[in-house]
Amino acid sequence: MTAISLSRVGYARPLAPALRRRVETVVLLAPGVGLLALAMAIPIGQLVLGSFDLTGIGAAGAFTLAHYVEVLTNPLLRDSLLFSLEIALATAALSTAAAALFATLLMIELPGKRLLALLYKVPLVVPSVVAAFLVVTMIGPGGMAARSFSHLGMTWPQLIHDRHGFGVVIVLLWHYVPISTLIVTAVIVSVPADVIDAARTLGAPPRVVVGRIILPLTAPGLSAAALITFIDSFGAYAVPSLIGPPYPQTVAVMMTREFLRRANWGVASALGMLMCLTTVVVLFFYYRLLLRLRRSRA
Amino acid sequence: MSNFWMLRNPRLCWLLASMLIAAATLIFVLPLVVAVLWSLVDPEVGWFPPDILPSSLSLDNWRALLAVPEMGDAFATSLTIAPCVTLLCALLGLPTGYAIARRVGRYRPALELFVLTPILMPGVMLATGLGAFFMRFGLAQTIPGVILVQTVVVLPLMIRIVAATCDAVPADVIDSARTLGAGPLALARLIVVPMVMPGLVAGGLLCFVNSLEEFVLSFVVGMPKVQTLPMLVWAYLGGRSSIITYGAVVTLVLLVPTLVVLIVIERVVKQEYLAAGFGKA
Repeated sequence: MTAISLSRVGYARPLAPALRRRVETVVLLAPGVGLLALAMAIPIGQLVLGSFDLTGIGAAGAFTLAHYVEVLTNPLLRDSLLFSLEIALATAALSTAAAALFATLLMIELPGKRLLALLYKVPLVVPSVVAAFLVVTMIGPGGMAARSFSHLGMTWPQLIHDRHGFGVVIVLLWHYVPISTLIVTAVIVSVPADVIDAARTLGAPPRVVVGRIILPLTAPGLSAAALITFIDSFGAYAVPSLIGPPYPQTVAVMMTREFLRRANWGVASALGMLMCLTTVVVLFFYYRLLLRLRRSRA
Repeated sequence: MSNFWMLRNPRLCWLLASMLIAAATLIFVLPLVVAVLWSLVDPEVGWFPPDILPSSLSLDNWRALLAVPEMGDAFATSLTIAPCVTLLCALLGLPTGYAIARRVGRYRPALELFVLTPILMPGVMLATGLGAFFMRFGLAQTIPGVILVQTVVVLPLMIRIVAATCDAVPADVIDSARTLGAGPLALARLIVVPMVMPGLVAGGLLCFVNSLEEFVLSFVVGMPKVQTLPMLVWAYLGGRSSIITYGAVVTLVLLVPTLVVLIVIERVVKQEYLAAGFGKA
């Protein structure tokens, strides 16, 4: 009797092992992947519907492309798209180049290497608003650089609220060069030492080792760093809203303004869709590049 | 590591090292010192160019700001939200990270990429989309709403770090535990959680810091009723008014816990986990 009831509790209708394992896997994946899937589906759905004026339950309107037309023809919004692209491209290119250089320097056995490894990680834990503040106290008007320059009888250029967004790029670089360096360092460390040794034994000078072995083998890391920097600086809100030029503003700033201050949900959604599209296009090219790199190595 | 990375000339070595450390100090440490100075500027005297150092120091800004209720509120809000986000991420991230590392086979790269999408998508887009959704359910401008929205962008780090740590758990240990009759709960409690602990701690620290720092999503979802420390910094640095000395005080209040966590991470956590957390593909 007890044996029967126990078996009922424990193994009632035993599932086929393979099926059971699959169910288990889904149950394990559900909390994390499920939440993230919902958290992605809801905003994207909202954006798609909102950008065509089809928003949700009870408020359904008529399908329209007017918001997209406005985003692409209104010079205010078009300029902000171009401005965001410029900032993101400049930041990604400069930060990846600097990260490659620093990661290489950090591989050299230097005295004080541990201190250096700690120092460069400071921006990793600094919020972007604070990064903006810290950099402004150095390069802003009345910042330390301007003060030192005036003692030397020179004038410091205006880098905050400037037309070209140099200040924004400098703050973003302060933030992303360390993150990129961390990523690139992790990849350089994984380059097998015997490959390098073999090349050296066969007489390759350091220049060739870096150019022909280390660079190609670290290309995935470099491209990942560039990708993350590009996407994050393209969507940057805090830094440009604080120290960017009054005109043009970045897409993220325009989008938040339309949403929070003007409750212009249609235009905000259309801007969001264009941001999304840019991100997806960049991701697509990134994965094609990765595939090609993998194939060329195999 | 190969001896390729050795510099043979010791003098050149020292020169390069001192140059690098000087540059790193100038770029990463000096701004922190300047922030401390700004927070100590005497409001009666000020600190005007071209003075390199303020002529007199005082604690007036600290006293003034600590007396303002919004400072204490923001501090309490941030320190309520961060542990909740960390706990939620650990609870959700542990099973998912384990499953991604152990159970999904060839779907792993696709799932790992999917998990990263909330970080890859522009934060403003997620924030406005979720914010509009939260408004319907009364979650906008509430602390649970901000906790939920922060979890969405912090959880990916936790999942990836847990997955990276699970790789190091030998499959034999898990298999033998199963063979010897351990159920899923016993397996989790006795084997997986203890072995993944380093990853959980690393991920937890990162989640905590990221939650303290998060700005855009908390700003769009929480404003104006829920105000975290980064939102206060933003407000004092020109978002609402420009009071640079107050900005410096809030900055330091925010930086002390995060810098402590950085030093702990640097000591305890392997570099690979950090890189995995920051989305090394």
